[in-house]
Amino acid sequence: MRRFATLIVAGLLLSTLAQGSAGAPASTVRVGAVIPLTGRFAGGGAQVKAGYEIAVEDINARGGVRVGDQRLPLELTILDDESDPTKTVSRLEALAGQGVVVFLGGFGSDLHAAAAAVAEKNKIPYCGVAFALHAIHQQGFKYLFSPFVKSPDIAIGIYRFLNASVPADQRPRRVAIFSERTDWGRELQRLWTTRSTEYGYQVVQSDEYTVGTRDFSDIILRAKAAGADAVFSVPTPPDGLALVRQMKELDFTPKVILMIRAADAVSWNQALGKDGDYVLLAPGWHHAFNFPGVAELNVKHQQRFGRPADVITGPSYACVQIVADAVERAGKLDPLAIRDAMAATNLQTVEGPVRFRPDGTGIVPFVLVQWQNGTQQLVWPKELGAVPFQYPARPWRER
Amino acid sequence: MALAGAAALVAMPAFTAASGVLNWGFLILLYTALAQSWNLLGGFGGQVNLGHAAFFGIGALATRILWLHGMAVFAALPAGTAAAAAAGLVIGAPGLRLRGPYFAVGTLAVAEILRITVGNILPEVSSLPAARLAAYAIAPRYYLALGLAACVTITARMLAHSRFGYGLAAMREDEEVAEAIGVSTFRYKLLAFIISSGFAGAAGGVFGYYHLSFYPQFAFNPVWTFDALLITFLGGVGTVWGPLAGAVVFLLLREVLALRLVELHLLIFGVLFILIVVALPGGFVEAWRSLPVMRRELVREASNSVADSVRRRRRSP
Repeated sequence: MRRFATLIVAGLLLSTLAQGSAGAPASTVRVGAVIPLTGRFAGGGAQVKAGYEIAVEDINARGGVRVGDQRLPLELTILDDESDPTKTVSRLEALAGQGVVVFLGGFGSDLHAAAAAVAEKNKIPYCGVAFALHAIHQQGFKYLFSPFVKSPDIAIGIYRFLNASVPADQRPRRVAIFSERTDWGRELQRLWTTRSTEYGYQVVQSDEYTVGTRDFSDIILRAKAAGADAVFSVPTPPDGLALVRQMKELDFTPKVILMIRAADAVSWNQALGKDGDYVLLAPGWHHAFNFPGVAELNVKHQQRFGRPADVITGPSYACVQIVADAVERAGKLDPLAIRDAMAATNLQTVEGPVRFRPDGTGIVPFVLVQWQNGTQQLVWPKELGAVPFQYPARPWRER
Repeated sequence: MALAGAAALVAMPAFTAASGVLNWGFLILLYTALAQSWNLLGGFGGQVNLGHAAFFGIGALATRILWLHGMAVFAALPAGTAAAAAAGLVIGAPGLRLRGPYFAVGTLAVAEILRITVGNILPEVSSLPAARLAAYAIAPRYYLALGLAACVTITARMLAHSRFGYGLAAMREDEEVAEAIGVSTFRYKLLAFIISSGFAGAAGGVFGYYHLSFYPQFAFNPVWTFDALLITFLGGVGTVWGPLAGAVVFLLLREVLALRLVELHLLIFGVLFILIVVALPGGFVEAWRSLPVMRRELVREASNSVADSVRRRRRSP
């Protein structure tokens, strides 16, 4: 009898599924997003989700989107792909079958690569942030749009920043690249190397390491021996912490340390304290921006999560602004028309004025942030309210 | 009934153009093939292989690389299958000297070594170029998966009623006894291991042909082993129809929950899974077989309780 009871419980659980059917009223603009809410990218996925949800709320509170001569609310369906690209594909296909007219992206380059391909196949425009990998944009996709800073802009951005912020005779001209053995790590390694000479820099050492490496002493000592003034890298947070700690142990203090991604989170300062200072990061967005809408976004985020908007939440919010604008200009709920309108975007968003190149990459401001006395300070670009760049980094033992 | 089911599966792409539905169908068939390939060694032979993902990955990688370099998929897929079967020979020959949990842990370790190595050698995402994407259609992938699932299931059925299959069953029940009655257990195990790896490689090859974009390392992820294992246990270990029944329920449940309960889907899925396994310890196939017995039990329980209540009512004034 216990067996039947168990089966009945299972049946009851299943019956909850019958409620909340996904019957789509035609009187909304249906937008679908597949985001990693669980698994390895869950942290980033949560930032993306917050940005989408707040943006949809704001737009609907203002009466929705004007399509032709009527105003329709945005209807956002968010699904979880568990950070698994196979599930990204199957869930996006399911959404395509439900008649969404635009896809919003998730987090992480492999999930984006799979998702962008599904969008391309189904001819539904796709707007995604939180991936800087440029290779995805080099496949000739027509429906992929990403208002997010990409590797080529990051590569020249740092050189331009250094040339503008440091007098010519003090520049850190000898660069070491600690390159992560991933496609993004390699892409930036290649770009930093090929673009170095035209800005007056020389890559003196460039070594690969595997994600999750415990001992970096080999590449650190080689950079030290090569007399590197600057270190560029894109480590994961644990690798970044290990790199800084071991650089300190081996007494190697380059004048400039750029650690994209690893230094983004507040945990950087909590883990490293003073040793985390002087490090530069290129988060793509910062809540200190003075663009219209940022202050309101920060207030909403503060109410919900107890802190100003996160670095990925801003660009995610901008994605929804771009989609709403494109639907209005298309004037109808036709994916192809929306795609064409999106390609012609010229919109002021929470991440500044956004336009798109033919490959779908956004022309967006490149920002650099530096850890100064335990806080993240915007140091570039100057016109967005940057504070002075602290240079050179003080040696570890004198802090 | 099996015939009608097969006809429905073959005709499915003609009735629905929705790629979402065909995508589900594809995944169910792919998981059926993968789970059945694990079942050949794990279910019929009783050798728990926790490194199944390695062969799936080898098949996926070999097939995809050859296919993307211009080879026809009908040539690339057998090549991927052969590569996985060859790996099965190389890994199985020493690995099968281990027994029980030692074999399970050993295969898991080999698969993890392969996964990390592939991640180091091929760190870049493998995406279909736009030209391939423009020509992409789900229907041929669906038929390929259908063919493979049919092929593995037929193999399992033939195996279950063959001398080889009886030998495997004897070995599963008691290796020493099987040895004593003349079953060359090592040779049987190795052959079953190679067949199982080859089919896992073929499933991987179909996956490599199907998927739009993934990191090569992803095909070596242990999740492929454990999903195959869960499906087999759900449907019925060592049965011919278990993997199919398991895959249908597993995937429908997983996808429907993911679409309906965004925040809680994994939790509910886990609870449901445990409930099903507790209620039906032998899997769906076992439950189906014992359905007449269960019905009789249910009727008896019901009549007992009715009789009880009647008795109680008589007693009370």
